[in-house]
Amino acid sequence: MSERAAFPRRIDALAAVVAFTAAAFERLHVPLELRRDVDFVLEELFTNVVKYGRGSAPVAIEILAVAGGVEVTLTEPEAERFDVTRAPVVDTTLPAESRRPGGLGLHLIPRLVDSVKYDYSEPERCSRITFRKTRTCAPRDDAAGDEGATC
Amino acid sequence: MLTIEGGDGSPVVISGRLDATQAAAAQSYLDRLAGVVTLDCASLEYLSSAGLGVLLKTHKRLLGAGGRLRLTEVSRHLQDIFSYSGFDQILEIEPGR
Repeated sequence: MSERAAFPRRIDALAAVVAFTAAAFERLHVPLELRRDVDFVLEELFTNVVKYGRGSAPVAIEILAVAGGVEVTLTEPEAERFDVTRAPVVDTTLPAESRRPGGLGLHLIPRLVDSVKYDYSEPERCSRITFRKTRTCAPRDDAAGDEGATC
Repeated sequence: MLTIEGGDGSPVVISGRLDATQAAAAQSYLDRLAGVVTLDCASLEYLSSAGLGVLLKTHKRLLGAGGRLRLTEVSRHLQDIFSYSGFDQILEIEPGR
């Protein structure tokens, strides 16, 4: 079972993304304690498209129920290749004076979910980011920049 | 939905979701405050990296003027976010009960 919807590339569409996720969790009977992390990752990925994507076609989100959780796919048409699993490492040990907020979202994604996978189709110019979040996912401290990582 | 109340000597109570759509409003509110600012996070349900940016910018501004930002009643979920981002090393964080 899965739920799918498409959203315009605007920051104010984020409320609709959150509402869609809430409804999908309810219809698919997904454990509610997973929602905040799924919301977090979807927000980071969606706002990244809004800020840096050059296309105009809507962004699709599909939520698929899997054992103990969900697999979520964000599809961006008219996309340039940008592998979010290989984002620059953020130095989280710097003092406040030297810290910059940029990049933190992508840095946190692999720490909050079981796995993240990036696919890009050159002919279609389409990027697909798929992540999985289940109840078995344990916190990770060594997750920076690894593709397809699993707990 | 996000609400922020208080300040000027009393704790600032922040409730709801501090996400990319609410970051500008939250920043605008916190920019008015000075000194040691206590942010009561008991009802803060959700914080994204946009929200982390608001907290960092506010803390740096306050530090520059001799103050700081301290967070109280921080949930386990938010503690994880602060830990993964290293914010637990730069902000004073008091866990919730």
